[in-house]
Amino acid sequence: MLTIKDLHTTVGGKKVLDGLCLEVPAGEVHAIMGPNGSGKSTLAYTLAGRPGYEVTSGSVHYQGQDLLALAPEERAHAGFFLGFQYPVEIPGVNNVYLLKAALNAARKRGGLPEVDAFEFLTLVREKMRIMQMDEAFLSRGVNEGFSGGEKKRNEILQMLVLEPTLAVLDETDSGLDIDALKVVAAGVNTLRSAERSILLITHYQRLLDYIRPDRVHVLARGRIIKSGGPELARELEERGYDWLLSAA
Amino acid sequence: MNATRMNSPRITSALPTTRNENWKYANLRALSRTEFTQAPAPAAALIAEIAALLPEPLEGYARLVLIDGHPIETLSTLPEGLVLERRADGNESSVAVAQADRYFAALNARQAAARLRLRVSAAQPCALELLCVAVGSGHPALQLQLAAGASLRFIERHLSAGPASVGNLHLEVELQARAKLEHVRILQLSPKALHMETLDMSALESSTLNLVQVQWGGQASRANVFLEHRGAEASIDWRLAAIAEDQQTHDFYVRTAHAAERAKTTQTVRAIASGRGRIGFNGHMIVEPQALGADSQQSLRALLVGNDSEANLRPQLEIYTDAVTASHGATVGKLDADMLFYLLSRGIDPHTAEDLLKWAFIGDVLARLPVPQLQKSLRDALAHALPGAIAAETAS
Repeated sequence: MLTIKDLHTTVGGKKVLDGLCLEVPAGEVHAIMGPNGSGKSTLAYTLAGRPGYEVTSGSVHYQGQDLLALAPEERAHAGFFLGFQYPVEIPGVNNVYLLKAALNAARKRGGLPEVDAFEFLTLVREKMRIMQMDEAFLSRGVNEGFSGGEKKRNEILQMLVLEPTLAVLDETDSGLDIDALKVVAAGVNTLRSAERSILLITHYQRLLDYIRPDRVHVLARGRIIKSGGPELARELEERGYDWLLSAA
Repeated sequence: MNATRMNSPRITSALPTTRNENWKYANLRALSRTEFTQAPAPAAALIAEIAALLPEPLEGYARLVLIDGHPIETLSTLPEGLVLERRADGNESSVAVAQADRYFAALNARQAAARLRLRVSAAQPCALELLCVAVGSGHPALQLQLAAGASLRFIERHLSAGPASVGNLHLEVELQARAKLEHVRILQLSPKALHMETLDMSALESSTLNLVQVQWGGQASRANVFLEHRGAEASIDWRLAAIAEDQQTHDFYVRTAHAAERAKTTQTVRAIASGRGRIGFNGHMIVEPQALGADSQQSLRALLVGNDSEANLRPQLEIYTDAVTASHGATVGKLDADMLFYLLSRGIDPHTAEDLLKWAFIGDVLARLPVPQLQKSLRDALAHALPGAIAAETAS
C-alpha cells in the first residue's frame, strides 16, 4: 500500500526527515510514535503534499504510483486522507458543501456520477450517527466555533464519508476526553478493512487501547529508529524514549 | 418623460486629481474620457427588450424601473403607502463644483431626466424593488423620505444593459424619527460600465438604517456616501461586499457624521481584488462634540488574489468628544494558505478552493441579505465571478 524509502524533507531550509523508511501493507494499521520535534507531523504533511515541505530525496509509492508526483488534491482523489492535528476553521464555507464537493471530486476521478442529494444526506446522517454528531454541525462553517473534540470528530466524519484507501491521522487523539476518544476510535475502526491502511500518529498509548495497531514505529531525529508489535507502545509508555534515543 | 440631452463637456477640468486624498484611488483616467450625457427616454421597443432582461419579481415587493434615469411606468407598480412624485428642484445645482465630492451630485442635478421623490408613510410597512437599468448614459435621481415610524424594505439593483453604460446616481434618504429602512443595494455592472453615485442619508431620532451592498463588475465605479446621524439613538449598519477583477476599480468614500447622542454606526467592508483589480475604501467617521455616547465600529478587510491586485483601506476617525466608543480595524491580506491547503487535501481543485474562500470572505455580508430569493439570484449572478464556489454551493 505505502512504501517510503530514504525520505528526506526540509521545512524552511531545515532538515526534518532524514532518511525515513516505512512500509505499510494493505489492510494494516500502523502507529507512529515519537518525542516532540521528531518529524511526525512533517511526515504527515509531506505525504499530503503541503507546500513548504520540500522533499530533497527519497521516494514514496502509494499503490504503486509515485505519491510525491501528485498535487495535494490528486492525492485525495487517489484515496489518500490526512486527518489534521489542528483542523483549520473556515468560516463561510459550509460543512455540508465541503463534504459533498469533496465526495463528488473523488467520484468524478473514479468515473462515477455526482452523488444525488438524497443519497448524500442518507450517507452523511449514517456517518454522523457513528460519530455521535448533531446534524446542526452540517450547516455550520467548516470547524467554525467547534471545540477541539468536535474538530477531531469532524475529521473522522470526513474520513468516513470519503472512505479513503490510506488514512494518515495526525494526533487525532490530542485534546480528546476519554468518551470522545472512544467515539473517534470507533469511527476509525469502522473503516478497517483488508483493502485499507491507516497510519496513526500519536504520543500516547491510550489511543492504541481502542485502535489496535498491527505495527508500532518509533520516529526520532527524522527516521524510524525502532519497529515492533503493539507491545512496543506499552513499553514506550512505561520507559519513555530515552533508552531508544541513547541507543540510536 | 421628455427626452433630455444637455450639452455636457468632458469634465476633465473639474475633476479632482489623485493629489486629492479622497480621490487617490479613483479611476480618474476613465472618468476623464467619459461624457456624462443624459440619454433620451427609451423607445417602446427598447423598453420591451429591457423588460425581458429584468430579474424575476421578488415576492411581496412592488417595483419601480428606471432606464437611464427615466421612470418606466409600464414596468413599474407602486403599492399604497408609497407616493412617487417628480421634483422640479435641483438643489445641488448651486453647489460649487470645486467641492470634488459633490461634483457628481451637482452634475446629476443639472442633467437628470427625472428627479423623483418617494414618500413612505407610517400607514403600513412597504417593500419596494428599484431597478436602475443603464443602457447608455443617465443620471438617476431619487429622494426617499420615510415618515416618522414608517418602515420600508428597499432593494435597489443597478444593472447594465449596454456594454459601456454610464450611470451617475444621486440617492437621498431621509429617515424621520423611529423610521426603519432595510436597504439592499446590488450593483451588477457590465465589463465596460462606469458607475458614479452620491448617497446622502440622514437618520433622525431612533431611526434605523440597515444597508447591505454587494457590488461587482464594471470598468470603474466611485461612490461618495454621506451618512449623518441627526437624531439621538439613530442606528446605521452599513455592510459592503465588493469584488474588483481584471482591471476594474471600485472606489468608495464614506463619510459618517455622528451629530446626536448615542448614535450608533457599524461599518463592515469585505473587498476582493483579483487580477489587476483595485479597491479603494476611505471610511471617514466623525463624532461631533454633541454626540455623547456615540458608538462607532469599523471592520475593513480586503483580500488580494494574485500579485497585481491592489486594495487600499483607510479607516479615519475624527472624534471631538471623550464619551464615545469607537473601534476600527483594517486588514489587507492574501488567501489563507492553511485554509487553501485544507480544501485541497479534501480533493477540491485549486480554482474551486480559491473561489470557495473568496465566497466565504464576503459571506458575512451576503448572509445579511434578507430575501432568500435574492440570495439565490445573487449566487447565480455571481457565478461568473466565483464559478467554483457556486458549483460547490449549489451542489448541496
